[in-house]
Amino acid sequence: MPVKEKKVKNKTKAVSAYGAVADSRWRKVSGKYLLINDFGNFEYLKSPDFDKWLKSKLPKKSKVFESLAEKGFIRTHMDFDKLTEKWRSANSYLFAGTGLHIFVMTLRCNHTCVYCQSSAIDSSKKNTDMSYRTAKASVDFAFKSPNPTITIEFQGGEPLLNWDVLKKTVTYARSVEKKTKKNLIIALVSNFSLMTEKKAKFLLENEVSICTSLDGPKNIHDKNRTYGKMSSYAVTVKWLKYFKREHDRQKNENYRIFKPSALLTVSKRSLAFGEKIVNEYVARGLEDIFIRPLAPLGYAKKYWDSIGYSADDFISFYRKTLHHIVKLNAKKVIREKMAMMILDKVLNAHDPGYLDMRCPCGASIGQIAYNHNGDLYTCDEGRMVGWSGDEIFKAGNVFKDSYSSLMSSPVTKGCVLSSNLEQQPLCFRCAYKPYCGVCPVYNYEVQQNLWGNMPSNDRCKLFMGIFDTIFELLAKPKEAAILRKWVQK
Amino acid sequence: MKNDNNMKIFVLDEEIYSKEAIALAAYVYADKAEIEYKRKKGKIEIKFESDESSDESIADDFVNEILNQQCRIDLTKKNSRVSTIIVTKALLSAAGEHTVRG
Repeated sequence: MPVKEKKVKNKTKAVSAYGAVADSRWRKVSGKYLLINDFGNFEYLKSPDFDKWLKSKLPKKSKVFESLAEKGFIRTHMDFDKLTEKWRSANSYLFAGTGLHIFVMTLRCNHTCVYCQSSAIDSSKKNTDMSYRTAKASVDFAFKSPNPTITIEFQGGEPLLNWDVLKKTVTYARSVEKKTKKNLIIALVSNFSLMTEKKAKFLLENEVSICTSLDGPKNIHDKNRTYGKMSSYAVTVKWLKYFKREHDRQKNENYRIFKPSALLTVSKRSLAFGEKIVNEYVARGLEDIFIRPLAPLGYAKKYWDSIGYSADDFISFYRKTLHHIVKLNAKKVIREKMAMMILDKVLNAHDPGYLDMRCPCGASIGQIAYNHNGDLYTCDEGRMVGWSGDEIFKAGNVFKDSYSSLMSSPVTKGCVLSSNLEQQPLCFRCAYKPYCGVCPVYNYEVQQNLWGNMPSNDRCKLFMGIFDTIFELLAKPKEAAILRKWVQK
Repeated sequence: MKNDNNMKIFVLDEEIYSKEAIALAAYVYADKAEIEYKRKKGKIEIKFESDESSDESIADDFVNEILNQQCRIDLTKKNSRVSTIIVTKALLSAAGEHTVRG
């Protein structure tokens, strides 16, 4: 219900009858002032309008005033019912339990990637395989979450190296789904090197969504992702084609076949090839590309000088590549996932499930990483820190701890408290606060404490650049129309 | 700031920097330097002694840490209520509890 305007007798006050500006933040983007408030509403203002707004001198019958009032930027014209509904929708994760459960089926891998964040070990050492006993206990643990939708993501190392356990776990998880009547989403992240038709058939019949890594054309992919003397690219492309064909056919009515997806990891050597990488995705029939920055965690931290880059380098790469993607949209559909997730927050007030960009972050309360031995970590990045010998993000064990004790563990609380943007001096004043989040694991690894220090934090700089790029495009009508289409519900 | 071999002396205004911010920053740097502080006529004098005598940046970083802590303290005074509500709600929802226990 809108708040009624108060009548003010004093003449001087009457000039500012609609009161001071409502709580909001701004940033200059594309020569205009970009206003954003905690409800997630935004508005671009030209300099003269911005000055009038600050001085409460905007004519009440102007379009600018009406638009600002509707979006909650005028203190005396706040429709709190509507605004709080929007806030609740954008922050719906605060009212649900852990949705994402990452099962590390093995640490073994048959690839040696230049940036390997999962710190994989030699494929012959089976002592890092998850046993079925552990996998089963992990499924039971995951279903203790109050979230009505449980996502189990199998990864590694290369999860297909532990195929028998993976297969039994999928079957068991589906049986628990039926018993609990929860919605279960199963995903597999694989390099496809051990994929066979038999395995593929089982995965499709059990509605497992398939994701692989594709770093670009053959020369870039194979340089990043070494697979002995073989071509990782050839295997990846072969199976992407297979799963896409099966998706397009949807030949069996008893189960849905999801479109396969791919993940791009941007290393230093990718920076010069943005357009070529996007074109490769288009050529493979993929409609989404996720331009993910590399983080200096685990193995990547050790070799950061040779594979890493500065925030400025990534922003420049992201900006150029996103512009190329938007241009391509005149002829075909190709979307960028980072932009899509941000746009989903900005335009739909919807949480897309990007756990590093929440307040508080998704550590334990949004995701749990289940290591091969049953140890529980706040997230997969936290597990990688554990692998390098520091167990600060280990929050429990599936055999020793209950779900509720994990949620109340000091590790979970520490991450939740430190990633609360209301307690981050710079974030609290940042225009992008309603859409952003901090990562305690990154802060710990790079700045030696969970809270970090945002003025000198490269991740903060990097996301600031991504937000600027997206809001620059949203300020242009033609480009904005394309971006809006990407997240139209 | 005064330099005396390995020791540096900072004098900070008590109206800007609280004792709590200085204590917290000193705690963060407890394994990197020896730190003493005392009140002196509305100011706080800090003696900062580090083994890394050639590295000026550690002393500079320490002063930045005081500022960092002060900003957090000021923000907590302003935001602690909303901050507590968000954190409590997130943790309770994740644990499957929907009401705050009295």
